Amino acid sequence: MHAPFAASLSRSLLRRAWVGAAAALFMTGLVAGQGLDPKILLQPATTDWPTYNGDYSGRRFSPLRQINAGDIGDLALAWAFPNVPATIKSTPLVVNGVMYFTVPEHVFAIDARSGTLIWHYHYAAPGDHIGHRGVAMYRNWIYFTTPDAHLICLNANDGSVRWNIELADPKQGYFSTMAPLVVDHGTPHVIVGVSGDVTDIPGYLTSYDPETGKMQWRWYTEPKPGEPGSETWPNADAREHGGGMTWMTGTYDPEAHLLYWGTGNPNPVLAGESRPGDNLYTCSIVALNPETGKLVWAFQPSPHDLHDWDAVETPVLFDAPFHGKPRKLLAQASRNGFFFLLDRLTGEHLVTAPFIDVNWAQGIDAKGRPIPRPDKAPSPQGSLVEPGSDGATNWMSPSFDPQTGLFYVVARRIFSVFYKTNDGKPEGWAGRDRNLWANSTIRALDYQTGKVVWDHEIGQGESTAGIMTTAGGLLFSADLNHNLLALDPRSGKTLWHLNMGNGVDASPMTYELDGRQYYVIGVGGTLYAFTVPEAQAHP
Amino acid sequence: MTWGSRCLLGLVSLVVGSLPLQAQSPADPAVARGQAQFVQNCGFCHGADATGARGPDLTRSTLVHADLHGELIAPVIKNGRVDRGMPPLALTDAQIADVVAFLHARVKEAMASNRGPGRDYPLSKLLTGDAAAGGAYFHGPGGCSGCHSDASLAGIASKYGTVELQQRMLYPGRMDRDQVTVHLPNRKTVTGTLLHRDEFLVALRDAEGNYHAFDPARVRVDEQDSLAAHRKLLGSLSDVELHNLYAYLATLK
Repeated sequence: MHAPFAASLSRSLLRRAWVGAAAALFMTGLVAGQGLDPKILLQPATTDWPTYNGDYSGRRFSPLRQINAGDIGDLALAWAFPNVPATIKSTPLVVNGVMYFTVPEHVFAIDARSGTLIWHYHYAAPGDHIGHRGVAMYRNWIYFTTPDAHLICLNANDGSVRWNIELADPKQGYFSTMAPLVVDHGTPHVIVGVSGDVTDIPGYLTSYDPETGKMQWRWYTEPKPGEPGSETWPNADAREHGGGMTWMTGTYDPEAHLLYWGTGNPNPVLAGESRPGDNLYTCSIVALNPETGKLVWAFQPSPHDLHDWDAVETPVLFDAPFHGKPRKLLAQASRNGFFFLLDRLTGEHLVTAPFIDVNWAQGIDAKGRPIPRPDKAPSPQGSLVEPGSDGATNWMSPSFDPQTGLFYVVARRIFSVFYKTNDGKPEGWAGRDRNLWANSTIRALDYQTGKVVWDHEIGQGESTAGIMTTAGGLLFSADLNHNLLALDPRSGKTLWHLNMGNGVDASPMTYELDGRQYYVIGVGGTLYAFTVPEAQAHP
Repeated sequence: MTWGSRCLLGLVSLVVGSLPLQAQSPADPAVARGQAQFVQNCGFCHGADATGARGPDLTRSTLVHADLHGELIAPVIKNGRVDRGMPPLALTDAQIADVVAFLHARVKEAMASNRGPGRDYPLSKLLTGDAAAGGAYFHGPGGCSGCHSDASLAGIASKYGTVELQQRMLYPGRMDRDQVTVHLPNRKTVTGTLLHRDEFLVALRDAEGNYHAFDPARVRVDEQDSLAAHRKLLGSLSDVELHNLYAYLATLK
């Protein structure tokens, strides 16, 4: 055990862990069959964390305040779940005292009080094992995506398989890493995306019946011939092989009954000569009708992308004033280095501003989209571009804190040289970029302007640790020197840290159980849960 | 794609140096035979490299991707697709097997295109700049000659691979750890090689090999960042200057 832990792990906590384990066995039995009523998802999460982002908004803001700016110094380890067979990049769900988290091929159900294992499910599969984001839950069922692009429905009580369907043909290069999203506005849906851009294949998003696994609708990133957006492709060959993967979990506005999703890069990835045009709806934020999968509006952060800048970062939903008027907003800090603010009912563009240094844009067009500089396109001789393909940010969670009114993002300065290597017709990636140097920072943005309000440097390299804010006046993330961090969300000042001896590639979450708030973060292959001592929890 | 993995300093040159060669001349003789068959029988419609002409691109064909051992491709070759204007082709089973091997190799090659430029990347592709202008930049506005001389860089173009030279020219990675001087409250100083620095700890090793650790909140730290000039250049260098500079360094054989 790492030294700082030994210091913070009190005997009383250990004792409580045993009591908790005993209680958990009892509780697990009690919980069986209860499951997650999808109507609960219509309200922002309170004590549980029932979806990938905690709630439909994607704000990653928890109303819990037991762990707060006043007692964070007393934070101590509650439990740890080690020996997970890969780096944890998922965000756990917590429902009815049980936590569900994943790494590629594996689902773990553990007791959220004690961290003891309830069940483990393994699905051995070929395919890309780059990472896994987590599961979705509907009633008593868990939904899990796999490296060979299957969707598996598991019994939440014991991890037994209810059904297993193919999302996409893995032989074409598809896989899936994302946590599905359950939406139920009368008709239940489990909405699932696909990944894969090493081959030139079309991206899509599919809705299935959570009970049967039967397909309800499929929305393709590339429009059909004659549909709006099809004119942004030169021909059928380009359009039908245009990429645009739905890598990440979207968000949902129950009132507007609109689903918001980000799409990935077009294909071929770094070479655009076979696909002149904007290449809609790749690198886009789309609003879909969750009953039909029909497109309502779209906004494209990276028209005709040539740098692998997926626009799949969480489309964060919040209601707040804009120029003095209350608005229903959608904000995305995109991989291309720009912050975008939209009206989420209409798609009207409100703000475009870089949230970190970028050298690839020469302005912003009338629609609010950055205009690429032609000389920053990948080239045979190499083009020096900031950011690199890993992006100014990426899949790790951003956060919006309604208490501060600030939008938070993990931002990276990455200098990279982009090489376009194809001689004939481009296929697949047709090149690659090579990173030169990177450093990272946690940034607070004024959502009305995109301007940086504060900046907290977290070291050299590319951080892949996400952000969560809480009503306790805390912002949780990590630095690149293995420190977990809790910052003051108003100023960015460090309030707490703990060196874990290993890096963080996951986003934090929190939940409350039996009157105790837990803060949870994956570090390497171990999941850690922290809480404040009982005296503070129950004064 | 490629969710960003942690960027380790100095890794760049290692990665470039150890990358497998890009898909090159096929080692499998069946692929070479299949290529010859393909060019002769199929290339007119599907392009000599199978990326399509009058007929579809087979490198991105769903049928070719779904095929494991010719079980899907062979019937198409034998029977043609008359409704779409493709005639049956009179190839033997062995010739068809070779064409199948070639098509699978082409798909693999396309998939391997995300490796980027390898060690064998031709210098001619990188040499788009003006060496004289690069030399003027090196000795003038680039400020390179403040730290480097032609003599100190002699032979550099022979030492590294083509892409590696460009990478190292821009950012050589952390070859040496930074030197650091810590000023203590009692006005003493400790100097050595920086081992660790974050907002909670500064650690260094002095010339005698002793380890020292400090709370950065209670000391002043002067770090000699040997690569600061390179990072500054990354933020200001134009691509034209970059390639001129590269052309100049490429002359320092």
